[in-house]
Amino acid sequence: MSYLISGLNIKNISEYDNSFLYSPYDIIDYQLNTGISVMPNYTGFGITGLTTWFSNDSLNNFLTDTSFRVTGWLNNVSGSGNLFTENSDVNSRGNIDFDQSYITLSDSQVLSGSGFNSDSRILLLAFEVITPTNFNEQTIFKFGTGDSNGFLKVKGRDELFSAKFVLDNQEFNAISSVYDDKNIVTLIQNSSNSSLKIRQNGYELGTYSSFNDYWKSGELTLGSNPGNVGIRYHEIIHFTGSLNSDQIDQYEKYLFEKYFKNDGLYFAKNNVPQGSEYSPITYTGKNYWTKNINDLFFLSYGSSASFSAKLSPLTFGDGYKTNITNGINTLNSKFNIIYDGLTDLQAKALIAYFENTPQSQSKSDYEGFKGVDLNLFTPYKQDCETYFLNINHSTPYNDINKINIEAEALYESCLNYKGMYVLLDEKNIRTYTDTTFEFAYNDVFYYPSNNFSERGYYFYTGQAKGVAQGSTGPLLPQNSPTGANTYFSRDFYFKQDIEYDISENIRIRTVDFKNSTKEYKKDGEYPNIFEFEVTFSKRSNKEALAILKFLDDKAGFKIFNYTLPQPYNKTIQVYCPEWNHTYQFYDNNSISAKFIQFNNKFSSSTVFNSLITFTS
Amino acid sequence: MAKFINYQNLDFKLNSQNFYANKISLSINASVDPVLVSDGTLLDYAPQGSLVGSLSSDFYLTGSLPNFLDITGTNSEKITGLFGGVQIDNLYAKSLSFSVEPFQPIILSVEFDWYGRLSIQNLEEQTVSERNNKASPQYIANAYRSSMTNAGLDGVESIVNFSYNSSCDRPAFFKVDEIVPFRVAKLNKKAEISLSSNDLGDSIDIDGKTVNTTLTLKDLYNTSLQVFYVSGVMNNQKYDISEGGYLLTSANIFQQVTEAKYLI
Repeated sequence: MSYLISGLNIKNISEYDNSFLYSPYDIIDYQLNTGISVMPNYTGFGITGLTTWFSNDSLNNFLTDTSFRVTGWLNNVSGSGNLFTENSDVNSRGNIDFDQSYITLSDSQVLSGSGFNSDSRILLLAFEVITPTNFNEQTIFKFGTGDSNGFLKVKGRDELFSAKFVLDNQEFNAISSVYDDKNIVTLIQNSSNSSLKIRQNGYELGTYSSFNDYWKSGELTLGSNPGNVGIRYHEIIHFTGSLNSDQIDQYEKYLFEKYFKNDGLYFAKNNVPQGSEYSPITYTGKNYWTKNINDLFFLSYGSSASFSAKLSPLTFGDGYKTNITNGINTLNSKFNIIYDGLTDLQAKALIAYFENTPQSQSKSDYEGFKGVDLNLFTPYKQDCETYFLNINHSTPYNDINKINIEAEALYESCLNYKGMYVLLDEKNIRTYTDTTFEFAYNDVFYYPSNNFSERGYYFYTGQAKGVAQGSTGPLLPQNSPTGANTYFSRDFYFKQDIEYDISENIRIRTVDFKNSTKEYKKDGEYPNIFEFEVTFSKRSNKEALAILKFLDDKAGFKIFNYTLPQPYNKTIQVYCPEWNHTYQFYDNNSISAKFIQFNNKFSSSTVFNSLITFTS
Repeated sequence: MAKFINYQNLDFKLNSQNFYANKISLSINASVDPVLVSDGTLLDYAPQGSLVGSLSSDFYLTGSLPNFLDITGTNSEKITGLFGGVQIDNLYAKSLSFSVEPFQPIILSVEFDWYGRLSIQNLEEQTVSERNNKASPQYIANAYRSSMTNAGLDGVESIVNFSYNSSCDRPAFFKVDEIVPFRVAKLNKKAEISLSSNDLGDSIDIDGKTVNTTLTLKDLYNTSLQVFYVSGVMNNQKYDISEGGYLLTSANIFQQVTEAKYLI
């Protein structure tokens, strides 16, 4: 049992076996094959015939020039052939990236050498072809010095029946992605029956039955693809003679475990037939297996979002304060996503998915693991990177399950050219231009302008100006967002629920005379600072988007005007450091927001009415 | 004069299968709530849930019941109904009942929830040829030969009449942004029988009285059309007698239908 499986609290998950049938929501741990991996130089099972082993494990594997361009790739097997760049042109030498496990040969860069002759051989090659600008043939390697024989090439678009490996002139359909994905190609050359079998990632693509003596040559050349972006060579292993199929599986698995990142849990999204062509990493298998949660599960109503600003307030007395934002990502966003009506099988898959999220690959050597790309609910983004924090699973009856997951989005509240924006789906927010048409109440527009104070989000409220339900547009300049008779607003024009609850604490100081009495004292000026919650229940998707965009644009700390309801009716200045949104049902949203009164003016020239100035 | 659509023989199909209905009722309910805002005005009416319709039908049992009408079974798939030229794509059966009275034909009542929008304005009257060409059923269930076994009903002797009702709740689950459910599950499945008899044997105890019985619906010629098995408890007994009459007892039998989980 793999460490992945043993780390889950779910039973009946096994490693992928291509001789099995699978049903939707079945879970597998994909590890290329179910056998063990074996280092190429391990001889505990007997002599293997290892004669060549090029790897990127150590700087000692390479010869470099003063520019750290590769002039030689040295064989780990002593006494065997090495690969060199003979060309004196620096640009013809390959690049080595010391942070990576490969050398790249692009354009006309080449490595070649001799001493690899063998009539029968097993050659395992781990490499990655960078997506080319065209899909013509690229040479991965060649044996011998001919121009058309002894070649392994790749060509075609990255799709089934187009992508091909080519041995001399015989083409074989690739079964896995050939570009920007790591591949293990194994050639099994048997001179006794003149057959040359080719395998891609453990799957036999076919047999080249008429190979010539070039394939027995000791001359080996890598690269040389003028005009192409390159091939990344990770490792080359060469055995003379023959190996049995178990040994080949073991060496392929060694390469797989070392280089592949697409191992781990996969979930069946269809009934999966038998056969390795249906394994998760093949073109065909991608229609059957997935790691994408959005392929498997759909969010239910009741899902909610909450935002809170990370602020450090500074108080100045007399009810004055300012908010210091902690970094540019002021807003923290959390989502309570609900998956309801799941069958037991679906719940099992989702719980396993949740438990396995920390096993996701790291973003880089310097960052943590990658989050879950989640399609959020209206009006938030699709494909938002989130981190699953906790899960609640409840079941009211047999085969009916409800799962709540709390997820946090870390990177989505960031500054971009449109100013502060977070997770709202930008495709629903249009940029206003002179030719924009079709306006409806609560439509949100971004207005670009060189004038900083005019740039930003505007809300169409033409209805309030007597323009019925909307306008077809384009609008006259005076009705534009910055026009004299604008149909747009930047104010908080939304009406809260008729039910509201406002409580107020007067700001006073007390002096406590022990064993006697208390004395209350005025705490400077402006003792009445409101802090209250406003709610917007049962709002349409359009109005919810407008409210959320307004709050999101204020980023948790910007000040705006708010008119208190009856009987207060006074317009005060507030900021909104946190709010919640629940998608109750189609066109039915509930939003609650905390408003805190802010006494300073939000113009740049703030004046403290009680400011004390010292004079000399 | 306004046109009223007339039906002589009700055309009613479920999953393309003909049912000889003598009554069909259809209703639609939108659950809406007013949205009142702080200035005292009405902003809108907001949907609280999906459009949920109710469809009920009374029909003669003319053959064995299809699996999709097994209310307490595991089949929870949607059913397609066709009535008066209008197709309803998302029907979910939630109850089935019938009464067996001496010498009476047996009429089954079935109720469905349905979801989605419906082109109800397309309801059409049957053509004369449709009415004339409608095939007559070969079998019609009748109480004459139908029975309820009393072997598992301790003390019950002559059953005068009985009725059966099976029902379940159908919670609907929606994907966000959709108003037609992706799944309508079955919950709280139960079967109930009411019977009248000359005797009920011992009175029930605090945990009722265990009962196993079989209801067999047959046509006049003893052709078995449908069998219902109930294994539950008798939880109510009643004794009625009036002057000059016979003692008539009645009882209710209740079964909570469960499904054992299988290991996944």
